[in-house]
Formats: sequence, C-alpha cells, structure tokens
Amino acid sequence: MSVETTSTVARVLKPTILILIALVAISSRLFSIIRFESVIHEFDPWFNYRTTQHLVKNGFYDFWNWFDEKSWYPLGRVVGGTVYPGIMVTSAVIHNVLHFFNFPVDIRNVCVFLAPMFSGLTAFSAYLLTKELKDSSAGLLAAAFLGVAPGYISRSVAGSYDNEGIAIFLLVFTFYLWIKAVKTGSAYFGLLTALFYFYMVSAWGGYVFITNLVPLHAFTLLLMGRYSNRLYVSYSTFYAVGTLLSMQIPFVGFQPTRTSEHMAALGVFGLLQLYAFAELVRGHVTPKQFKTLLRAGVSAVAVIAVVGLTLLSFSGVIAPFTGRFYSLYDTGYAKIHIPIIASVSEHQPTAWTSFFFDLQMLIFLFPAGVYLCFKELKDEHVFIILYSVFASYFAGVMVRLMLTLTPVVCVSAAIAYSTLLDTYLEKSDHVLGTNLKPLTATNDSNGDASTDAKPTSNGTKKPHSSGKGNAKEAKATAAKADAVESKAQAKSTAAAKRYPVFNWDSRAMVILQLTWFLFMFAWHCTYVTSGSYSSPSIVLASRQQDGSQMIIDDFREAYYWLRKNTKEDAKVMSWWDYGYQMAGMANVTTLVDNNTWNNTHIATVGKAMATSEEVSYEVLRRHDVDYVLILFGGVIGYSGDDINKFLWMIRIAEGVYPNEVKETNFFTPRGEYKVDQDATPTMKNSLMYKMSYYRFAELYGGNAVDHVRQARMPSEGPKLSVLEEAYTTENWLVRIFKVKDLDVLGRSLFDATDFDKGKIRKTKKF
Amino acid sequence: MRGLSRTTLFSVAAMLGLALLAIPSSISSSGLASAQPAGEALLAKKVARLSAKASANKGIISLDSSAFEDVMSKPRNYSVVVLFTAISPEFNCVPCLNFDPEYKLVASGWSKLADKSQLYFSVLDFKAGQEIFQKMGMNSAPSVLYFPATASQSTQDRYDFGRLGFQAEPFANWLNARAGTSIKVQRPIDYMDVCIKIIGTIACLFTVYQLFTKAGKILGSKYIWSAVSMFTIFIMISGHMWNQIRNPPYTAPGRDGRPGFIAQGFQNQFGLESQIVAVLYALICGSAIVLISVVPKIENPTQQRLVVWAAMCFFGFFFSVLIKFFQVKNPGYPFTLLFK
Repeated sequence: MSVETTSTVARVLKPTILILIALVAISSRLFSIIRFESVIHEFDPWFNYRTTQHLVKNGFYDFWNWFDEKSWYPLGRVVGGTVYPGIMVTSAVIHNVLHFFNFPVDIRNVCVFLAPMFSGLTAFSAYLLTKELKDSSAGLLAAAFLGVAPGYISRSVAGSYDNEGIAIFLLVFTFYLWIKAVKTGSAYFGLLTALFYFYMVSAWGGYVFITNLVPLHAFTLLLMGRYSNRLYVSYSTFYAVGTLLSMQIPFVGFQPTRTSEHMAALGVFGLLQLYAFAELVRGHVTPKQFKTLLRAGVSAVAVIAVVGLTLLSFSGVIAPFTGRFYSLYDTGYAKIHIPIIASVSEHQPTAWTSFFFDLQMLIFLFPAGVYLCFKELKDEHVFIILYSVFASYFAGVMVRLMLTLTPVVCVSAAIAYSTLLDTYLEKSDHVLGTNLKPLTATNDSNGDASTDAKPTSNGTKKPHSSGKGNAKEAKATAAKADAVESKAQAKSTAAAKRYPVFNWDSRAMVILQLTWFLFMFAWHCTYVTSGSYSSPSIVLASRQQDGSQMIIDDFREAYYWLRKNTKEDAKVMSWWDYGYQMAGMANVTTLVDNNTWNNTHIATVGKAMATSEEVSYEVLRRHDVDYVLILFGGVIGYSGDDINKFLWMIRIAEGVYPNEVKETNFFTPRGEYKVDQDATPTMKNSLMYKMSYYRFAELYGGNAVDHVRQARMPSEGPKLSVLEEAYTTENWLVRIFKVKDLDVLGRSLFDATDFDKGKIRKTKKF
Repeated sequence: MRGLSRTTLFSVAAMLGLALLAIPSSISSSGLASAQPAGEALLAKKVARLSAKASANKGIISLDSSAFEDVMSKPRNYSVVVLFTAISPEFNCVPCLNFDPEYKLVASGWSKLADKSQLYFSVLDFKAGQEIFQKMGMNSAPSVLYFPATASQSTQDRYDFGRLGFQAEPFANWLNARAGTSIKVQRPIDYMDVCIKIIGTIACLFTVYQLFTKAGKILGSKYIWSAVSMFTIFIMISGHMWNQIRNPPYTAPGRDGRPGFIAQGFQNQFGLESQIVAVLYALICGSAIVLISVVPKIENPTQQRLVVWAAMCFFGFFFSVLIKFFQVKNPGYPFTLLFK
C-alpha cells in the first residue's frame, strides 16, 4: 500500500471510528431505559426537568422571572436567579428545533437522552484535545476511553438529567480551545474559549475549576520563563470576554469581581498586562535603566496589591470563600461548621476502591501519561500536568469531583497507551535502516566530542576578547554558547540513540497483553455501568429468592397518590432529599428541597422530625403543613431511609436549635444509635421514630424485625396523636401522614385520641 | 453503623466496660442521701472548702469516690463539671491524655475570671473512683458531665467528644453556654517553640539566599517537579485524602482469615492499605514507563528482550495482584487475571 492510499484510508477510518465511539458511548448509557423505562432519575434531575417543562411551556422570559411559590413554603424561591440555566436552555432549544422540523418529540425524552448525546460530543472533544497533545491515534484512544469510563458514565446515563451531563463536554471542549489558543496565539480561539466558558458558566458551578486552572496555567508558563505574545493574546481575550459574559448569568452576577475564587484569574490578568508592559519598556530603554524601573515597579505593585487586597477583604467588598470551597481546602471545616454540606454523600472523600472502580486500568496508566508530558513539556503539556495534579487532589477530597478528574485521566492514559503501541508496533526494518546509521556516526563523533569542543570554543573566544576589552562579557557569552551547543549535541545523540524493539516475541508479548487489558477494561466498564450506575433510584429492582426480578415502584406510587388525593395547594413536609421529586412528580408545595439555600428552614424541618409530638405539632401548624412524608425501609431492607438519615436531621437541627434538639439524647448511654427496646426516650418520642414504626409491629403480629437495622422491635408500637396515617405504599417504603386539624371540641389532640380509643380520663371526673 | 463507630471511638471504652461488668453491682447509691439540710452554715463551709481546694490546684479539684459524693451532696448552690478520666498508663487511654491539658487550660481560664459563677471543675480518675464510674454508668473515658446547681444528680449534660472534638475552645464554648460563664481559653505561648520557629525561618531564608543560584536551578529542574507531581498523583489516587479526613487506624488485627491490613467494607480503608495500593500503582506505572522509555535505549537485542519480558511480566503480575486486592474489597467483582 502506498503512502497516499494509507492516508486516504486513514481519512475515512478516523471519522468512522469516531462515530462508532460516539455510538458506543451513547448506547452504553441506555441500560436503565431498557430495563425500566424512559424516566428522569434521582433528585436534582427532577428539578431540572420541572424547570425545563416550565421553560418550554411559558417561554424564556417567563422562565427568567419565575418566582416559584411551590417550594420553600412560605418563603418561595426565585428560580431564574438561582439556577444555572444552561441545561434547560439546551434541551428547550433542541426541543424547539425538532418541533420546527415537525418531529413531535416529547420534552421528557429530550431531557432523558440529553446526557448520552452529549457524551458522544465529549468523546469527540477528548479526541481533539489529545490530538493537540500527541497525535490523532492517541486522540482516538482518548475518545474511546472517555466514552466508556465509568467515572463519567456515573453522572451521564440516560435519565440523569443533571448539569454535569453537558458540563463535562463543555469542560473538555473549553480546555481544547484554550490549548489551541495558546498554541496558535490567535484571538479567534481565545474568543471561542471565552464563548464556551460562558456556556460552561451557564451550565455548572464547576466552571470555577476552569476559572482557576487556566490562570494557573498562564501563571506557570510565566514562571517558567515562557511568556509569549501567544499567551498574552489568548489569555487577555479569554479573560476579558469570558468574565464579561459570565456576569450575564444572574446566579453568578458580580461574583467574578468580588469572590476570592475568581481573584486568581483577575490577578494573573493584571500580571500579564504588567509583564507585557515591562517587555514593551525593555525595548525602549537601556538595560540599566530598565533594571531600576523594574525594581521600583515591582515593589510598588506588590505593596499596592497587598494593601489593597487586605483592605478590600476586611471591608467586606471581596467576599471570603464560600463554604463548599473551604471544605475543599480545609478538610475538617465542613464537619464542624456546615453539617448540611457534610451530610451529602457525594461530598465525602474518595477511598481508593472508588478510584479503581471508576477508572480501572486507566488509573495507573494516567501517571505514566503525566510522565510522558514531562518529557515533552511544551506549553500544552504543562497544562495537562497541572490539570492532573489538581484534579487528583480534588477528586480525593470529594467523590463528586471524580468527574473532573476522569477526562484528564483518559487523555493522559491514552497518551501512555498510544506511546506503548507506537513503540511496539513500529515497522522494524524500516526503522532499523534509518536509525542505526546515524547512530554509528554519532557514536564516532561522541568519542571526540570533548576534544572537538575545545578548539571551537577557544576559537570563538579569541577574536572577541582581543577585539574589545570587555573580556568578561565575551567569556560569559562564549561559555553560554558552548553550553548550548553541547546541550544540543547531547540532545541529538540522545534522540538518535533510540533503537527499535528487535524481537518479534517481545513485541507480541506486549501487544497481546495490552490488547487483553483493553478487553478487560471494556468488560469492567460494562459491568460497572450496568450494575452500579444505571439505577434510576426512583424505581428499585431486587432479585427474589427464585431469581425473578421484583420492581419496587413505591416512590412513584406515593407521589401519584399525593397528586391525585390532595388539594391543589397542599403543603407536604419531608426531609429535603425528596423535595424536588415531590414538586416534580406530585405537584405539591414543599417546605424544603435539594436546593439547600436556607439552613434555618431545613433545621426547622429537622426539629419537627426530631422533637416530641407536642413541640412538632406547633411547628407543623405554624408552617401550614398538611401532610408529612417519610421513607421507611424496615420492611424491605432499604437502607437509605429516613431513620438512617435521622442523625443528620438532628445534627442540622441542633446547629440552629441547640436547646431543643440534642444529639446526645438520641444515643444510649453506651453510645449506640438504637431503635429497638433500648432506644432512648427522646428517640422513642420523636416524631420521626413514631411515624416510621407506627403500626409496624402489627404488621408482623407483634414480632416485628427492622430489616435495615436488624433490630427486634417492641411488641407494642408507638402511638400517634397529632398525625394520622394517610397512605402507606405497597412495600412500606413511603409513608404519608396527615396532620390533624385542631379538635372541634377544643380538647388537646392527645385527649381526643385517647377518648376515641375508649379511654376515659382518670384525673377529672364530671 | 454510626452507633458502632461511636462506641469504638475511645480506645479505652471496651476495657472499662469489661472492668465495670466484672465488679458486682452491689454498691448502691450509698452516701447520696446522707447530706441533710443542715442549713446555710454547712453549705458555706463546703463552698469554702471547695474554693480552697480549687485555688490550690489551678482551679481543678481532684476527686475520689467519697469526695465526689461530698461535692454532689445537697445542699448545693453551685454547678460542677466532672471529667471522668483514666490517666494511669495501664489503661493506655490516649484521648484521656490528650484531653487532660485542654481541660486544665479551660479550668485555669475559669480561675482567672472575676465572676466565677458558682462553678467548680473537678476530675475523677478511674483508679480513684471506680464505684462512681459504675454508679454513673460510665463505660467510656474520657467523659465530661456538667451538673447544674439547681437540679438533682440525675439531670446531667454530657459533652460530646465525637462531634465537638478534644480541643479546649469548643469545650469552653459548650461550658459557657451552660454555666453562663465567659471563659476564654488562653493558650500559653510556648516561647521555646516560637524561638525555634523564628531561628528556623531565618536559617532557611539565609540558606536560600546563599544558595540562590543553586536554588533557582533546583526549582527549575524538570526532574524534581516531575517527581513531586508523580508522587502527589500516586498518593492522591490511592485515597490519601480519605485517610486525612477519616483518620482510619493504620492497620488492624486480621479476623477470620482476612489479612489485617485490609479494611472491611468497600468505602473503608486502612492507612497501610492505601499505601500498598499506591505502591502497586507505582510499580505498574513504572513498568509501563520502562517499556516506553528504557527499552528503546537498549542496544543489545538479548538484553532488550529480557527487559521487555521482565517489565511485561511485572506489569501483568502486579495488575493481577491489584485486581485480586480489589476483589477482596468487592467480593462480587467477576474479573480476574492471574489469581482466581
């Protein structure tokens, strides 16, 4: 095959392979659709879905100004100003375009399939990025890796309609454009970077990662003495345009000029301007003058910067870091100060198993790729190195940030893997012919290189020193030139000293094993995706003893009941985890939801759950609560239920109401968290406990065992006076209680309940 | 799960619990009712005695069983903080030793107050007051109980070490909220430490200044930076931050055939475990780097073959070990390489 036909074949093959990769990426995310149905997953996606529906139905302006009175009752929520609208706008645009061409696709299906579609694009941008770092074959590998890596699939399966679904594409693509901009120094690419940065800002709070990584890259290049006009043009364009655009998002607003997270970008921008100015001045004055100017300038700037920053942060113009970011740097911070952040499972640190589970063999090829980047060390490789180091730190601190690590792991592992393939698939005799010849030549010259070098250096030194009296300077330059020369020589000999792999058996050994590892990687990814990341979590599946599958659909059952059986403006209280789902599926008013912006309100709900009936009834009445919804897994052994989350409710409530809720009172004297006979009185009297185990004992005829906590329950269950059971789903997973109205006869509800049960008050006699 | 981890929080808990179980629970609440309402004089006498004791010992009254009963006896117009601890070396109670100086710090902060708010700090060591430990149902140490002035012995407030930690500051805040005091913790300045730090900084700056040119070279060295970056990546991807945040034990005795360095549970790990994983990653990654960078530099075909085979065997072997390791953590994992 001639060279031309090879390149033609490659030109056809590459797009084909890329399309196939995209198809694989999409189809491996469809497990949940095939197993269950086209349904929105989990919690946050339900809110995004609900807002997207609103956007499609009422148009953009209405969405922008939407005040949602159905959440955070009685406070409400300004939706337009508190969301990242990127994902909703994206799906609305797709929906409208499809409808324009008369494809009547339901908005739900657009939302469900959005993340898989974008994963195809992510794979493509990984290809582009890696191509800039090595070559297109490494790019194809990176695309394939990123397409199926479980670390990314975990947040982008069909139905997982969340910001991350499109944000990872935007992250990778923005980085690609940035590298392209730095390489070419064109304002065009700088501008494109800024535009995609804007898209990213509109889509995900993780844009802060870009805002810090890109300036860090620029700063590092500056420190390495690699300042260039390319860098100046690309960074200045990116920062100026990107910042102005990002401020158009209401949720971001003036943060880029005020919060500390954005200060690094601003600082580097200023530094680059100063540096560029210094370069300009250098061209117009003598070196001596320049030195004085530089000293004066640097010290003045430093003093002004330090004083200014201190003043601004003390006067409060520059806000301190937000809590979530503190918890990234000071890992003990969240535990003490913000239980609500510590309570979220995706904010937990990452154990080694999670890294391996999400990335398998990529995780150890990744450092090898970083090593290769160090060997090349062009501007773009510096970027990948910085990205790797910081992303691996952040991924270690928070499970959720595995997502930002995954792209760089795929890129870097692809570089390592493709270099391995290059080394062991090189055509042997072809390489032998070209590489061995210069090798013998250099070997010869190498021997007398030292003797050769002396006369030349002497030769260059002589005319200089004799011509002018400035011997010292001439000597220095000559020595420098000498050093450069010998360095270059050493480099060329080192480059020439590459031998091919001689034996076919070593080649076969390496290639076969590597191929086998690739197979294993593909199996692993499929196994993980299908087993762990494809559960919609609103529909559960369990295997029964005879091997048949049982679908547990209690959540939707309960939400549907609420939707059909409560009045239009019914207020339902639950723990915040279920707020979005209730708003989206049951269309009821909620007190708190997954947008945890008001800690006090959440603590109030926690207090209502954790205190006795008398206290919590007052809270419930004050908030007009009609129903209380809880999750109870004791019957089927669902461990994510409210009794297991109860400690967090108590902790959050204690943070705001330290006198009314005390965590210690929920632990037995032995320090155990018990629900059975040994449970503390406070525990037994808490509303949550009573609701969870209300009539639970009756279900088993007084012999009940809680299957989550493996606890044998007392034969007589708790009594409820201020609430009555409204609905309990098939598997008891969701229980809904109605808050009783005040008694018509003016009795206390406790007396009324006793009376209804036929008990006569003993204290007073009429 | 959470309840369990709380009980294992203090190393001494289990030991004390056993010790307490062993003692027959015959000792009833003996001296409690002895304090008769003998009037103001008795109370004033007791208060004077306590104040003298407290001021003699930097604000802390050390108790034994009888002294405890005496302090708790009625009439009582003061509140008491009692630290139940086990300082003696045979209990090997590390938290007790850690908390002891912090407690003293708070007590000395209290003794400096003008308004002492009728509060006393006291310490009851397990050795001196086993009966009281048993009577109060203490089975872990250290524990701090706060007895308000007005209420009887049964209402008490327990300081939560698990949540608030062993530092003096949160403890002082906790106490201020209850006793209405305004105790401020003033850590004594360790002049020796400060001196060492100042001298150290000056020495560092001096050496940096002396080695300025060399330091520039070191800072500019690609190899040092690559070593630092690779090292950081290796420890990060093997769960170092998890260890930092969760503080797991370094290793634990193995149970029913499980090796001691592997923690039970998928989302759990020991210090040693994550280090082993880091080394495994480094070995596999190292053999990949050998295959990429070292092999093409070998001129001799036989030697080259040897290196390739060795590196690839290394690669495969340690990858298999890693997968096996992972399988131990996640028993349902279906894939294996060399080890079934």
